[in-house]
Amino acid sequence: MSAAVSTIRHVQGFDVVRPLSIGTLIFLMLPLVFLPLASIFIFGTSKGLPRFWSALTAPEAIFALKLSLATSFWATVFNVLFGLFAAYVLSRYSFWGRNALIVTISLPTAIPTAVAGFALLLLWGPYGTLGRLLAPHGIHVMFTGGAIILANIFVTFPLAFGVMKAVFDTMNHSLEEASATIGASRWQTFWHVTLPALRGAIVTGALLTFARAVGEFGSTILVSGNLAGRTQTAPLYIFAKFNEGQIEAANAIAIVLALLSFLIFSVLFFARDRMEAK
Amino acid sequence: MLAAHQIATFLPRFTATTHEAPKPRRIAASVTGLSKQFGNTPVLKDINFDIAEGETLVLLGASGSGKTTILRIIAGLERPDTGRVILHGRDVSDLPARERGVGVIFQSYALFPNMTVEQNIGYGLRIRRRNGKEIRETVDRLLELVRLTEHRRKYPSQLSGGQQQRVAIARTLAYEPEVVLFDEPFGALDAQTRTRLRSEIRALLRKVNVPAIFITHDQEEALELGDRIAVLNAGRIEQIGTPQEVYDQSASEYVATFLGRANLVRGVHQGEKVTLVFRPEDVRLGDEQLRGCHQLGTGIVKEVVFAGAYERLSVQVDDTEIVVTRMKPQTNAQRLKTGDRVKVGLDAYTVLAPLCGPLRISAASAVNDRFSAENAEVRRGPQIKASKESDLLWN
Repeated sequence: MSAAVSTIRHVQGFDVVRPLSIGTLIFLMLPLVFLPLASIFIFGTSKGLPRFWSALTAPEAIFALKLSLATSFWATVFNVLFGLFAAYVLSRYSFWGRNALIVTISLPTAIPTAVAGFALLLLWGPYGTLGRLLAPHGIHVMFTGGAIILANIFVTFPLAFGVMKAVFDTMNHSLEEASATIGASRWQTFWHVTLPALRGAIVTGALLTFARAVGEFGSTILVSGNLAGRTQTAPLYIFAKFNEGQIEAANAIAIVLALLSFLIFSVLFFARDRMEAK
Repeated sequence: MLAAHQIATFLPRFTATTHEAPKPRRIAASVTGLSKQFGNTPVLKDINFDIAEGETLVLLGASGSGKTTILRIIAGLERPDTGRVILHGRDVSDLPARERGVGVIFQSYALFPNMTVEQNIGYGLRIRRRNGKEIRETVDRLLELVRLTEHRRKYPSQLSGGQQQRVAIARTLAYEPEVVLFDEPFGALDAQTRTRLRSEIRALLRKVNVPAIFITHDQEEALELGDRIAVLNAGRIEQIGTPQEVYDQSASEYVATFLGRANLVRGVHQGEKVTLVFRPEDVRLGDEQLRGCHQLGTGIVKEVVFAGAYERLSVQVDDTEIVVTRMKPQTNAQRLKTGDRVKVGLDAYTVLAPLCGPLRISAASAVNDRFSAENAEVRRGPQIKASKESDLLWN
C-alpha cells in the first residue's frame, strides 16, 4: 500500500506489542487461510507434475473450466452494462419506490445462493411459472449454459451495481453541467465525461462479478443439472470428482481456480491503489 | 442627541448627483422579470437587468441571496418560474443549456480530469464537429492568450488553481460564448492569489471583449471587477450601478453596509424616517471648526486602532458612535488618543429617505454650488425641506 500508517509513538524504546501482535495475526491466519490454500498446492503436486498436468487436461476438466469462464464472462458483460444503466437511473432520478428498487436489486447479496438457484428453477424450470409455458415450444431455459448465466447474473448483479452507484452518487455534477453548457448533448456528455469518471468502477465491478461468478456453486448446481461435459462448471467438477473419490482431478481444477482468484484480486488491489493515488 | 438645527444643515441643499447622458449601449444579454421559488421559499423576486457588449456585471450578495440561482437560470441549468432570458436579441428561455451558447466558469472549474489542457479547451469545438485544423488553431490561440502553451499536455490535476481557472476560461472562449458567467471564481483561493487573478481576469476580459457576469459575496472583488454592480438581498436587486454609484450613493442601508463600512445616523423629518449614511473615510476630525465640510458636532474619541495603512477610530458624537478612518498624513498631522475631544465634519454623505430614494451630498458640491436647493427639492419631493427651521428630530 502506498501510504503506510505512521507508527504510534507513545512508547519509548523497544515496543514489544508490535512483534507480538503481528505474530498473533499470522498465527491465527495460518489454519484459517494460509494452510488450506497451501495444502491445495502441496497435495495437487505431491504425485509429480505429470500427474497434475494430465488431471488438468482431462477433457471434462477442460470443458468445466471453459464453461465457467464463458458463463462468467457473459454474466460480467451483462452486469456491467445493465449495472451501469441501473446505477445511472437510480442515482439520477428520484421517483416513487426508488429506495424499494435499490433494496430489491441489492437483495441477492443476502439471499443464500441455493435459494437463488431454487427461485430460478421455480420460474424457468419445466414445471415453473414461465418454463411451463415455454416447454411445449421446445424452449428449455434450465439445465443449459443459459441457466448458469442467469444464476450468475442473479447472484452477482448487486456487486457491479453497488460499485458503480457509489461512484454516480459521489460524482461532481458540475462536470456534467459544464459539458452541457459547452454544448454537448446528453449522450456526448455521458460518453466523454461521465463514462471516463466511471472507468475505475467499471473495472472493479467487472472483476468482482467475474471472480464471484467463476466460483459460484450453490445456485449453479441447482439450475445447471450438473451434467459432466455439458453443464458442469469448474466448482461443480471439483465437487463431483471429490464425491467420486478422484481427489487429484478435483485438486487440479482447485489450483486453477485459486490462482485465478488470486490474480483477479491482485489486479483489483493494485488497480485501486493506483486510482486512489491519482 | 444632535441638535435639530445642526442636523438640518445636512438636509438637501446641494446635490452632486451626476447627470451624465446615458451612453448608447448595445445590449448583449438581458433578463426580465425572473422569479423562482424552491418549494415555498421564494429565492428570486422580479429580477431585471441587462448587460452591454463587453461589459462586466457583478452580482453581489450574501449566501442565500439568490445570486447563484440567477446564474444557473441564465445558463439554462435551472428553470425560472417566471421571466425571460434574452441573449443578443434571442429569447433563450425555453432552450436547454447546450443550445444557449453560454460559458460558465464553475467555482470548482469543472475541468474534465481525463482530458489534457488542450483537450479540455478543444472540447466545445470537438463536439461541434469542427475540423481538426480549426480546432488546433483555436486551441493554440487560446493557450497563448491564457499563457498555458507549455502546459498543454498536462492534466488538470497537475496545474495550480489559477492555471486551472485559466483553462476553464479558455475552454468557454473556444466556442465564442454569448456571455461568460463566473460562479464565485476566486472562492477556493488564498487572498494573495485572489488579488493577482482578479487583475489577470480583468485584463483578459478586456482583451476578448466578451460580456461577463460575475457572482461573488466579496465586496472588494465586486468593486474591482465590475463595470457595474448589482447588489442582491433576499432575492431582490437592491441597487444596480457603477462601483462608484453603489459605494457613494448607496440606495439602501443594506447596500451601504454590505459594501464596506458605513456609519448610519437615523432621524425623523416631518414624519418620515431618514438616515444619514457616510463612509468612515469621509469623516474629518479637527481641533477647531472644520472648513469646507458639513459640521456634525463635537465628539469624544473612544478608541484608536492602528490598522497598518490607516488608523481606525471610534468617536462618540452625542449618543451615536461613529467609525472614522484616517490615512497616515492626517494621523501624523494630528495625533489623537482615547478621551480627546474633537470637532467632527463630513466630506460627503448620503441621505436615505424611503419615499424619495438616496441623495448624495458632498462638500465639493457645496463649494462649487452647482445645484440649487430648489433643484434638490424638486427631485426629492416635498418630504424633506432644506430649511433651518426644520423640525427634524434625530433618534
